[in-house]
Amino acid sequence: MPAIAVAGLERAFGEVLAVQGIDLEVAEGKIYGFLGPNGAGKTTTVRMLTTLLLPTGGRASVAGHDVVAEARRVRASIGVALQEAALDPLMTGRELIRLQATLQGLPPAAGRQRADALLERVDLTAAADRRVGTYSGGMKRRLDLAAALVHEPSVLFLDEPTTGLDPVSRKTIWEEVRDLNDDGTTVFLTTQYLEEADQLADNVGIIDSGRIVAEGTPESLKDEIGDPHVELLISEGEVAEAERVCAEIGRLLPPKDGKRVLVEVENGAADIPRVVRALDEAGIAVESLELVRPTLDDVFVDKTGHHLEKEESEGGDEEPVPT
Amino acid sequence: MEVAAKAIEAPASPAWRTNLATIAALMARAKNELVRVPGAAIPGVLAPTIFFLGLNGVFGALTQLQGFETGSYESFIIPVSMLQGAGFTGAAAGVNLARDYEGGWVDRLLVSPAPRWVLLAGNVLAASARSLIPATFVLAIAFVIGAEWPGLDGLAVCYLMVAATAAVAACWGSMLALRYKSQSAAPLMQAGTMALILLTPAYAPLALLQPWLEKVANVNPLTQVLEAARQGFVGSVTWADTWPGIVAMAGLLAVLGSLALREMRRTNV
Amino acid sequence: MSDLAASARVVRALGGRSIRQTFRRPQLLAPIVVFPTLLLAVQTGGAGASVELPGFPPVQSFLQFMLAGAMMQSMMLAGNSGGIAFAVDIEMGFTDRLFAAPIPRFAIVLGRLAGTAALGLFASVWFLAIGLIFGAEIEGGVPGALLAMALVTASALAVGGIGAAIALRTGSASVVQGLFPLVLVVLFLSSAFFPQELMIEPAKTIAEYNPLSFIVEGVREPIISGIDATVTMEAVAAIAGIVVLGLVLSARALQHRLRVG
Repeated sequence: MPAIAVAGLERAFGEVLAVQGIDLEVAEGKIYGFLGPNGAGKTTTVRMLTTLLLPTGGRASVAGHDVVAEARRVRASIGVALQEAALDPLMTGRELIRLQATLQGLPPAAGRQRADALLERVDLTAAADRRVGTYSGGMKRRLDLAAALVHEPSVLFLDEPTTGLDPVSRKTIWEEVRDLNDDGTTVFLTTQYLEEADQLADNVGIIDSGRIVAEGTPESLKDEIGDPHVELLISEGEVAEAERVCAEIGRLLPPKDGKRVLVEVENGAADIPRVVRALDEAGIAVESLELVRPTLDDVFVDKTGHHLEKEESEGGDEEPVPT
Repeated sequence: MEVAAKAIEAPASPAWRTNLATIAALMARAKNELVRVPGAAIPGVLAPTIFFLGLNGVFGALTQLQGFETGSYESFIIPVSMLQGAGFTGAAAGVNLARDYEGGWVDRLLVSPAPRWVLLAGNVLAASARSLIPATFVLAIAFVIGAEWPGLDGLAVCYLMVAATAAVAACWGSMLALRYKSQSAAPLMQAGTMALILLTPAYAPLALLQPWLEKVANVNPLTQVLEAARQGFVGSVTWADTWPGIVAMAGLLAVLGSLALREMRRTNV
Repeated sequence: MSDLAASARVVRALGGRSIRQTFRRPQLLAPIVVFPTLLLAVQTGGAGASVELPGFPPVQSFLQFMLAGAMMQSMMLAGNSGGIAFAVDIEMGFTDRLFAAPIPRFAIVLGRLAGTAALGLFASVWFLAIGLIFGAEIEGGVPGALLAMALVTASALAVGGIGAAIALRTGSASVVQGLFPLVLVVLFLSSAFFPQELMIEPAKTIAEYNPLSFIVEGVREPIISGIDATVTMEAVAAIAGIVVLGLVLSARALQHRLRVG
């Protein structure tokens, strides 16, 4: 039985259809990465799966229970760390975990034990008796994660767990997610960071404007896109001419900004000299050149026509090549 | 990070015990604002005290009118101020809930398996308990300036009405907080409570009110509550003057509590 | 263009902004009008029999007596609200933009006070209308009504000056907001809600010397009996006193604000 099963799930807000009939399945013990830009419908989907929002169409079940008909059973089976780390600044970390334990129905002694164990697990023992209002962003996220685990849920929902965190804190959260998954917890993770989905997820679903536009393992999705592309930084005023030249060598991709030309090349690094020669013969100056292997952003571009991230994607497989 | 805390076998508790523990935990959290934020208790205490002293200073001469059961206006008006304090406290519980909603805290509660009525009860009972603070403070001031001692029975009935009024106001405030999900509904929370308390024989006995207010006060359940709270201060405590207040409170709690619970259950719509 | 004309333009522009801000946000306007109206209703309904007390001034009704107090209450809340709005401007950095502009400093404060004065005028019209609708008569007729409106508007300016001074000094909206209980205290310790002679000590003695009592009587007199030059001049003197106090405090607070940034 899948840990999460969704069929035709829909959510309308008035006339706006924020989630437009999505289907997905997450097998037990897997990490599912739900990737999409702001406003794509990720959080709305998570809120429906965690019973915080009623679907206006379709069905969904989590841990074997229908999210509408058996909402309370769903809540007893899931752990949730939402986009806004929902913490009380006046409580200490320990108090918060104990409160969460009480909310989940754990007896007091068990709740205390669990709090101590989880605080140690997320490296917050030293800060456990300090008020949450004094915690850093990374500490708050770790505490939120610990609170979500207090009753050892079989399914864990993480809504953009590393948004706003520095790289070190982000990596710490990633490690914890992997450890949880190693213990058998199914993880449903929403993110707008390509690298996060790439690194963590067994399967990725890409959502845009309320629809799932692609689904599969990160590798299979990237393989679908096919060839790597060359990214050229061209002098101002010569971009259009550079695009014309490159279009004769390979397939042009949508530009990221007004200065870069992106051209897909069949033979990878072997095609670079051809590109450079052609541009040189046309008298076009190239300021820099990189060979970029397909990323999930490329998958997103392929399916939707626009980039997931406006900036250069983090951690993509890039090999800078001097001109 | 160290890997995997061992699973802890927790024996299942009966539901009633779990629910009680949850209510107690939510009440304990609510007290943090009083205990951990310097000066947080002051506004809730200051407003009813100012009103009490102000109204007593301004309208004290009204006791010269025929129809007043007492010559001590402070004794007459102190229950009004205590109920006002309860109203402010209850409305503040609604404002806090709205703030918790805006900050995402309420999601944490809603995503837990705790029954919705338990979550509401935690907020409401916390307001009830907290209302005893301004009530006691303003009562102490009243005694200093000469209010009559109501007797232990009068005091008990008065405090019961205060705690119940705070609960009613908290239900009203919670209902609005869950409906509008925003602190901008705060003025409505405060104004609703204040209106209900003042549209009673707050300033003068029923017989001395202007006809329109007398009519309104006669149908306002808070009139029975006020009369029950006041009886010890202006005379003796009788069951005949007490039970209408209890019934009025029970009715208000039933109605507003149901409405608040309905909103709590509809947060996911 | 002369300096004075230029300053007047600035005051007009900032005043227009202040007025628009005030009336475009019903959630801020409502408490200034709704709360005093509610209190007026319950106080006239609850304590209306007071007119039978020996020594109560001859009035047509308790409502007629209370109108001035309701206007004063609304005016004081408007002053507090204006101070809060000014403090929000400071917190948001909008006043920094004004300080960096080549405009006279006093124009910045005056412009803010325009909103408060507009609220004061609105309050006076509102409560006079309420009074007329519910049967109260304005014994001073149209001149009496106009005098009452002018005094309320002027006192809104005066009290607004104090609110602005506090905002400039503290730069914090929550501090200004926290002064709301003080507004109530000052009102209760005046003859806003009851004849001063019939109040209970020590409120009675404090009300006798409270400048707000003189202003209230100045507003009340044209409503309950007609225009009285002495009472009017006493009200004007009290308003002038508050204006001077507001000016001094504002000037000092402005210097402080410019110094600390």
